[in-house]
Amino acid sequence: MLNLFKPRSADFKVSLSDTETTFTVKRGESLLSSALSAGIKWPFKCKVGSCGSCKCQLIDGKIKAQLDFGYVLDMSEIQDGYILACQSILRSDIRVSVHLTK
Amino acid sequence: MKFYVNARYLIVPFMSLIAIAGILIGGSFAWVGVALFGLNTIIDTLTKNIHLPADFDETGESYGIKGFQYAVMFLMLPVFIVLQLVLAYRIFQYTSLTPIETAAFLGVSYEVGTSGFNLIGATLSSGLWAGLGIIYGHELSHNKKEGFLVSRLIMALSGASHFTYAHVYNHHLDLGHEDDAATAPRGRNIYAHAWLSHMGQSRFSYNLEEQRLSKRGSSALNFDNRWILGYLYSLPSIVLFVWAGGLVGVAALFTVWVVANFLLEALNFMGHYGLIRTEGPVEHRHSWDNDSVFTSWFFIEIGRQCDHHVRGETYFWELDDVEGPNYGIGYFSLFVLTLIPPLFRVYVQKHLDNWDEKYASRDEKVIAAQFS
Ligand code: FES
Repeated sequence: MLNLFKPRSADFKVSLSDTETTFTVKRGESLLSSALSAGIKWPFKCKVGSCGSCKCQLIDGKIKAQLDFGYVLDMSEIQDGYILACQSILRSDIRVSVHLTK
Repeated sequence: MKFYVNARYLIVPFMSLIAIAGILIGGSFAWVGVALFGLNTIIDTLTKNIHLPADFDETGESYGIKGFQYAVMFLMLPVFIVLQLVLAYRIFQYTSLTPIETAAFLGVSYEVGTSGFNLIGATLSSGLWAGLGIIYGHELSHNKKEGFLVSRLIMALSGASHFTYAHVYNHHLDLGHEDDAATAPRGRNIYAHAWLSHMGQSRFSYNLEEQRLSKRGSSALNFDNRWILGYLYSLPSIVLFVWAGGLVGVAALFTVWVVANFLLEALNFMGHYGLIRTEGPVEHRHSWDNDSVFTSWFFIEIGRQCDHHVRGETYFWELDDVEGPNYGIGYFSLFVLTLIPPLFRVYVQKHLDNWDEKYASRDEKVIAAQFS
């Protein structure tokens, strides 16, 4: 109930668990496009949720999936918190683990 | 500027309403939807040399208003439903032998009842404008959950709900490969492509569901299967047309679906005909751009395929010219050429030669050589 009156922050913060890197994601923007705008070498290929290259593991926080991840990720990956960055809109600050491209 | 950028994409909504009004007014006005296609072909051909870039302000922000463009796309679902309803209404009058006479509503005279000839006009008009559902079905397939469902429902009105999944998971991933049903190889004509691409995408969509459900230990034969669900979304149209006109209704709906799906596949055909991709990411060279001004505005930039396939997450009003392969003419003009396969082959050959020489990678050149 109180949440209704809490000011809605415009941006969310993403921390990459394997490095000290952080960046912000504007409300409504995908995790991948914000990462790329922040100059992070996040892997990607299709940007439409079909190739799985942008997958990462959500360690902490909430996201909203834009497409069903079940077509690209295995059940076990989904249970382990894997998400597709190109199809994820943030609902809170998050911490993720991702293998960045060299 | 904001008004101009947003209003220019309203040609299809506006003309769809004219096509609907034509069917409602009846008589020879039932053919208005077909006539508009002819008019559009002339406009597209006359303006083929005008190519405009996307419009951004000095900070690089697009002038497109997302809320407005989404509202229009969502509102096109009821517009396409009304298009089917007015056709069903005319079929009902025809099969129930309603006498043809003139009446008036709010000072506008219209024809009660319809001749068989004008019913053909109404059916073709409906098919052509229903086929344009693809431009909204396509855009919404890429953006947001709610949009995905609306995309499925719009496509279901043409019996093609499988498109939404096949487009994202097959076409975008396998573009230019043999496993992409929607990429037409060199030498294939549009008629063969329409059938092969439609069936191939539907098969892909079924297999995709089968795999997804088997990962969860479920059988493919249940209502959680989105391929089955997609065809069930088309059921209300079938019931409506059977109720409105029995066999005549079925024949009319079949015609609408054939015409609409033919247009859908024509866009796939023109977007990638003869282009080849070996391993590696999709690049601008793997699509043909069709961005002459009328095509851009009418088809809400679906012709900016080169940019779209590389930045699939980008809204249509932000897509731009990326100097990829370009036929140099708009979709209407090119569509007329595709209908005459020998003519299309002659026209496209110089563009393919140019692609082989300027755009193709070494491996792609090797494959291209096998076709010549
Ligand atoms: S980039 Fe392909 S699934 Fe995200």
